[in-house]
Amino acid sequence: MSRLVRRKALALLGGMVIMFIFTAPIIWMFLASFKPIAQIFSIPPVWVPDFGHLGNYAKLLSENWQFLLNSVIITLSATLLCMVISLPAAFALTQFRFRGRNFFADWVLSTRMMPPIAAAVPLYIVVNSIGMIDTIWALIVIYAGFNIPFAVWVAMSFFRKVPKEVLEAAELEGCTSGQTFLKVALPLSKSGIATVATFVFIFAWNELLLALFLTTRAAKTFPVVISSFVTTSMTFWEMIAAATVIQAIPTVIFTLLMQRHIVSGLTMGAVKN
Amino acid sequence: MHTTDEFAPPRRRFVSRHALSDRLLFLAPAGLYLLALTVFPFVYSVYLSLHRVKLTTLHRKRFTGLENYYDLFTDNLFLDALKNTAVLTVASITIEIILGFIAAKVFFSLRSSAAGSFMRSMSIIPMMITPICIGLIFSYIFNPTLGVANYVLGQASIEPLGWFSDPDVALTTIILVNSWQWTPFMMLLMLAGLTSIDQEQYEAAEVDGAKWHHVARWIEIPAIRGIVIVGVILRIIDNLRLFDIVYVTTRGGPGSSTEVVTFFAYKQDFQYFQVGYGSAAAVVILVISIIITTFAIRHLRRVENE
Repeated sequence: MSRLVRRKALALLGGMVIMFIFTAPIIWMFLASFKPIAQIFSIPPVWVPDFGHLGNYAKLLSENWQFLLNSVIITLSATLLCMVISLPAAFALTQFRFRGRNFFADWVLSTRMMPPIAAAVPLYIVVNSIGMIDTIWALIVIYAGFNIPFAVWVAMSFFRKVPKEVLEAAELEGCTSGQTFLKVALPLSKSGIATVATFVFIFAWNELLLALFLTTRAAKTFPVVISSFVTTSMTFWEMIAAATVIQAIPTVIFTLLMQRHIVSGLTMGAVKN
Repeated sequence: MHTTDEFAPPRRRFVSRHALSDRLLFLAPAGLYLLALTVFPFVYSVYLSLHRVKLTTLHRKRFTGLENYYDLFTDNLFLDALKNTAVLTVASITIEIILGFIAAKVFFSLRSSAAGSFMRSMSIIPMMITPICIGLIFSYIFNPTLGVANYVLGQASIEPLGWFSDPDVALTTIILVNSWQWTPFMMLLMLAGLTSIDQEQYEAAEVDGAKWHHVARWIEIPAIRGIVIVGVILRIIDNLRLFDIVYVTTRGGPGSSTEVVTFFAYKQDFQYFQVGYGSAAAVVILVISIIITTFAIRHLRRVENE
């Protein structure tokens, strides 16, 4: 028995060490967001700041709220657009039987594996030629598109779980495919759809590379703003700290709420937990 | 004919009612979207890569055949980028697998305790945090003169490290940061695999007096191998795209010590405007991705069907 207790204690200790390793860096930045500039790099470090000091947040938000708003609008719209395009495709790929179905599914998946940098210049040229550089529309359309492969593939894994009999019954009642999809399959897959949508939201929320060259001023997203706090002459750490905390809020909430689905989500439904 | 039709299995009947128009309605938007947003750009990138062309003067392009590729593979900076990407990918994934396995074992043995699941939830936060913020968090911690990491080292009388500024250390730091962010992912994958092991197998092993490495070798590793390969594939793809962390920490430097392929292509395209050359680099990344993908799709399908 004592051996078991010792093992349990050892495991708890191990768990605490692991938790420390993976949270301490984030917490350190969180603490910095409450420090005035002089304390951010003081030696010895200020371990516990005055949490009443909200000056960094106030300055950051008053100067950059419109870019945070851009990020929210772009991310939400891209997620919505992506779902509208992806869900019917996923439904058809699981429920319709036709030649080339597996080929189509594999092709969709293969586009998920392709590096965005290989699309960068052509996208820039096209977006530029239609005068859409630095508009939120360009980013919405492109973010939605880049997440379609992921959304289709994961949505397929939960549309497969909708019982065949239910769909057949709907068809026999005279529902068209569209009605079966909208009135039967979608309501039965609500939680799956929520999972996919949150993933797409996070991917779009975190994106930097494409936003860097598709925006210049007005349509800048929050990650682009954060990256601009690092300049060749100086780095605005008090802004970075506050911005990192704000940028992290949706992702942390998401991680804690969705942790049961993270594995199947990130492996695109290949691994279930 | 009518009678046989009535007795046909319902599944076939269900299927036969999906007319071509239905298929088009459901699939065409996604298909066209992907053609426009991925296939078209890729083909266009290949086209650009065969030309000498600047982003600022697109109409003046000159066909140069494979010259960009020839230049690329004699350009030491690109070769360094390829080498660094390879080192970074192999090293990060190795660390992620080893640490992920240890962490998975710890949380597996704590799986029935509330404290265990709380600690697990907290430990997986890094992988969803915006990569650019991860880069900044660590350039704050690893600041050469004033960062907390060197302060702690100093308290232990260890020489301060130039985490991102010393050419011999910078790539290692990037590897550390990268694997710090993604070890939790590997851990969750392995945890899913470990949970699928039949508890009786462990008991039988204990009765037979098996050592921990026997259990790992004959029970645990076989149970998680398929899942881990899925993780490795996805991580290789991710590492080929690694950009954000490098962009905010080292910008490829000092020298070429942390130059990686995606960042190299980005710089050629949008800092030097050499889009022909940058596209050639992007096409090389694309080809590597295609090779991995061909293998990956088969494997993903197989794991999914298990």
